Amino acid sequence: MPSAGKPKRRKSGKSELDSALDQVTDESVAAATKEFQDLLAQAKGDTTELIRQNAEELERRLILLKERKIDKEDFDYFVENQKRDLRVFIDSQPAQAQERAEKLTLHLLGIAATKIAPLLLAMI
Amino acid sequence: MNPNTAKNLVVRNMVLYAAAIVMTSCGTATFSKTGSDAQIESLRSFHLAFIDEFAVSHKRFNATAFDAKVNEGNAKFQQAIANEKFTARRPVLNDLAAQFKADAAHLRSKATRGKVTPALASEMKKDVNKIYDHALGR
Repeated sequence: MPSAGKPKRRKSGKSELDSALDQVTDESVAAATKEFQDLLAQAKGDTTELIRQNAEELERRLILLKERKIDKEDFDYFVENQKRDLRVFIDSQPAQAQERAEKLTLHLLGIAATKIAPLLLAMI
Repeated sequence: MNPNTAKNLVVRNMVLYAAAIVMTSCGTATFSKTGSDAQIESLRSFHLAFIDEFAVSHKRFNATAFDAKVNEGNAKFQQAIANEKFTARRPVLNDLAAQFKADAAHLRSKATRGKVTPALASEMKKDVNKIYDHALGR
């Protein structure tokens, strides 16, 4: 299935995660937060099921982390699982679709693990 | 016998023989695929039961029982890999075996420190179901 489909229209109303991230005022992390929110919204609206599913899983796990239902070790573990699963999918995509698929999956997971998760934990 | 008739008979027999080979191999492939899918489902059940048994919050960690179950799991995966008739499926089984090992290592690390949560167990099982579904091409 191609991954470069048009994104679906974004649902109105903010998610629990967006509401938490909108409270970030620190300029040093604001750019990363904005990039993350944009990529997450694009991924959640993508026509490719695996990209959408990955974004939804990531969002759910960030909320679990924020609510302390899982810790950072668990979060990182799940991110690695997701990355492993996605690499096979990305390699199977046509060359022209790989860059976009990688941005909406592996890159998104990378920002989540290195920037967003520590930020959410610091906000608690 | 007319040479043309004999030639036609030879050609007809060859076509029938080829068709029989194709039909037999398709039947074998379907049968083996079914068996291979059943094997993967059996491994999934074992993997999920393992998480259910050991990813329990506030449960005292029993290293002997844990290691015995991990060894049993590793043996099951190795046997499944060795018995797999579809060579193309072996890398998939290797991936599933690697996931089982990784889950066991993470669970051991958390359980020994009493840091297992219900959400951890639930998310682990979601990942397990996803990887097995992908292994089955779903």
